[in-house]
Amino acid sequence: MSKGKIREEEIRRIIRADDEWEPVGPTPMPSLTDLRNWDFRLLDTYEPFYAPFCDLCCLCTFGKCDLTEDKKGACGIDIATQQARWILICSLMGTAAHGAHGRHMIDHLIEKYGEDFKIDLGSQVNVEAPIIRTVTGLKPKNLGDLRKAIEYVEREMIHLVSATHMGQEGNYRDFESKAFHAGTLDHVALEAADIAQIVGYGLPTSIADTPLVDLGWGAIDVKKPTIVVVGHNAITAYAIVDYLRQHDLYDKVEVAGLCCTAHDVTRYDSSAKIIGPLSRQRFFLKAGLADVVVTDEQCVITDIPQMASEAGAAMVACSDKISYGLEEVSAKPVDDILREMLENQKQFLILDSEKAAEVIVRAALALAPLRQERKKLMTKEEASLLSAKCRGTCETCNRACPNLLPVNLAINQARQGDFTKLGSVFLRCIGCAKCEEACVNNIPIQKVMQAAAASDTYKIRAGRGPIHDVEIRKVGSPIVLGTIPGVILFAGCSNFPGDIDDVAWLAEELARRKYIVNLSGCAAMAAAMRKDEDGKTIYEKYIPEFDAGCIVNVGSCISNAHVVGAAIKIANIFATLPNRANFELMADYIINRVGACGVVWGPYSQKALCIGTGAVRWGIPIVLGPHGSKYRRLFMSKKEASDWRVMDGRTKQRVDTQEPTPEHMMLVTETKERALVTIIKQCFRRNDTPPGRAIKLNSYISAYKQVMGSLPDDLQNFIRTEKEIPIVYKREVIAYLKEVGWKPKISLSLPTLIGTYETKVPIEATVK
Amino acid sequence: MASELMTMPYYKINVLTGTKAAKVVSEPVEAARIIDKATNPLYVFGAEVIDSLVGDRLLIDFTLEIAKSRNIPICATAHVKKKMMELGVLPDSIYDIIEIVHFLKDKNWMGVRGKGFHDLVLFTGVRCDLAERGLSTLKHFAPHLKTFAICRRSHPNADFAVPVITKTEKWRVYLEGVISELGTVKA
Repeated sequence: MSKGKIREEEIRRIIRADDEWEPVGPTPMPSLTDLRNWDFRLLDTYEPFYAPFCDLCCLCTFGKCDLTEDKKGACGIDIATQQARWILICSLMGTAAHGAHGRHMIDHLIEKYGEDFKIDLGSQVNVEAPIIRTVTGLKPKNLGDLRKAIEYVEREMIHLVSATHMGQEGNYRDFESKAFHAGTLDHVALEAADIAQIVGYGLPTSIADTPLVDLGWGAIDVKKPTIVVVGHNAITAYAIVDYLRQHDLYDKVEVAGLCCTAHDVTRYDSSAKIIGPLSRQRFFLKAGLADVVVTDEQCVITDIPQMASEAGAAMVACSDKISYGLEEVSAKPVDDILREMLENQKQFLILDSEKAAEVIVRAALALAPLRQERKKLMTKEEASLLSAKCRGTCETCNRACPNLLPVNLAINQARQGDFTKLGSVFLRCIGCAKCEEACVNNIPIQKVMQAAAASDTYKIRAGRGPIHDVEIRKVGSPIVLGTIPGVILFAGCSNFPGDIDDVAWLAEELARRKYIVNLSGCAAMAAAMRKDEDGKTIYEKYIPEFDAGCIVNVGSCISNAHVVGAAIKIANIFATLPNRANFELMADYIINRVGACGVVWGPYSQKALCIGTGAVRWGIPIVLGPHGSKYRRLFMSKKEASDWRVMDGRTKQRVDTQEPTPEHMMLVTETKERALVTIIKQCFRRNDTPPGRAIKLNSYISAYKQVMGSLPDDLQNFIRTEKEIPIVYKREVIAYLKEVGWKPKISLSLPTLIGTYETKVPIEATVK
Repeated sequence: MASELMTMPYYKINVLTGTKAAKVVSEPVEAARIIDKATNPLYVFGAEVIDSLVGDRLLIDFTLEIAKSRNIPICATAHVKKKMMELGVLPDSIYDIIEIVHFLKDKNWMGVRGKGFHDLVLFTGVRCDLAERGLSTLKHFAPHLKTFAICRRSHPNADFAVPVITKTEKWRVYLEGVISELGTVKA
């Protein structure tokens, strides 16, 4: 179904098409199929790779249907299409989580300030919403405009969800195109949500040097009343800070967070603390250090009420998304709520954030003096006693561990008073507690870990929000020419395959090779959990600017929008290409010219999946850690065997570049060493100039030699002319190229995919 | 031929969702027979081969012996290549695990020595959860080849799998048994 004239008129009205900041491009507020040709063009080169997690389909009462190999379900679906359907379903979950967050935040702020409340991101940010501008064609001026962006997301989602029903979409490529659409909607929601909270709560913007914030449970003064906020929608956390400030209590109460609410509350007030990522939720809450546990939404472990109860802590849920069966008491007087909480240990749902804040603070003040004895980590002697029944032989704990850890050995050694192994297991633990459930002796393994866990304090820089326009002007040229070798974003969750600080290793390896390194969410937290010999974290060692060799914490998951936005801004601000309703033009520019790569080293959530899927549609490759294989789908080329023909924008001729850049759009790597060389390789772009490519190759060769011990085996794929061979490796590279029969390749100054598929975008549009 | 019975792998998580399960290869001689029968096999080494000890030897010492005894080409995944070079062996191909699986799906791919598709692919040392996903891909999308997971934790999505062997000594005996039997049995 096409949009129809009435809808087209409606869109023009919503985006104020007559505003003349830029002409309206071909795809304002795209519907499900408006970008389908672009998607299929990507899929032609980067085929979906499916790794079925289940051979069956259990979604309707025709089934279960066995889809093994070439079998079909009762509805006719095959295994590939079923995987793609799951990808769409999971992407929609992620988009909904971010979208609902944005909707809640924007509605809340409109209630507070009105829909005309102006968007002002400070003197350094004029292109305030590059994603919203590009996708919808709307230049948002106020909160009301952000609501329009979210309404667009909501409108599209109903169609996407519909496509997942039995008997609807029946082709995997179309499911993937729809998943891309969900990813695009997700990015719109991310940007709207973060802009709303930046302007509504005065979070940092137009500043790079944000304060250093304490991270780790060692940073918390548990002698004080301790409030722990968990999740990712910080409205109640902000209200708690406001209440403490208003009552002159801020230095008397500890406010600390787990997951992205922690990022956002430290953006609001830098004296709040970050405890750590999702993988530390269960460990910390079982330790009982919190007097009051506050849950909002997204990435919140679902048995928190039970854990809080067992720890003797009060617990308040604050989101309609996570109500836990609790009584909603926003209409009750605070004193009545408190009485029931303190006298009867009742837990409540309180949707009125200001009332919740008062209840939470007063409960913490009342409970803290009574809980001092419970706010102690387990001693080694206590832990050894609790482990007494373990003999280390049954291995049921190991067999249940999703991270394949030797829990049995660690607990058995702890029983004997040696906590070394348990300490290393803790560093790799993702906090799921499946080992505890499996233990035939009911050993509380997560609690025992308290005796082995280091309680260091680390420094992380508070999330800085948008990348500045002036930074884009400075780095735009070197990025596009390739002399800044790449822009990396470490995003996503804490389902790490190895040590929690591997992200810090990767980030530092890249920063010292002059990549622009950005981090967000749980990855940004984990990257802080590694100190050098001087006791400094990467946030203390590296300049927090969007520039070569710098390290930036953009903020929470919704702040990921700013890194995608930076890629768009390079096309829009540096290259002066119009971005208004011009998705394909921007994405084509990014995939050909902006050496950006996203890394989700510890993927677990559906949110991370849809962020990554959305990034691929923008032309940004994604590298996943091993757990990412359980997402079921990747996007991979056949390397040099694939079709790498593009248009030369200057001659308008189709040209075979013969070089696989970017080589893949989403892939999993097994080890951090392999990830390092893969990330570097994903930053090659067809537009790299010879000096720029030489710099990128220098990074690739040096990293490859470091971790693989030789020259890269695919070097010949990425050297187009001899000028591109890094001087320091010239002799051995030339010898290698002779050995493999290398021949020079074409190097284009205006490569584009526009013109290689059917599109409304004229090839002339790629030339500014 | 695949067994009708589901093999219960060491890692119980993430795997028990299928209807077609691996044939459990309990005896080394049987494993050797499967390898010997292959006309164009490939051996994929995962990162654990350079980290995992079997008695006083690294796992890679055993896998290299298996590969050498039948001149099986090796694909070194992850960062295995470095260790192989230290041991004086150059792998035949250097793909990461997902990349090699992606190529193996394609019957028209000429294989790492240009002889056409591999009819048997051996896997050792790939992180178990990741290996299981790759084996699932090949189970569904590569009907032209058989997979054999030579891993002591067992893999239901392979065509052939070693049973769970928790004792390192038994694992050593199994591997040595395969090595000694290779080439001694007729296809």
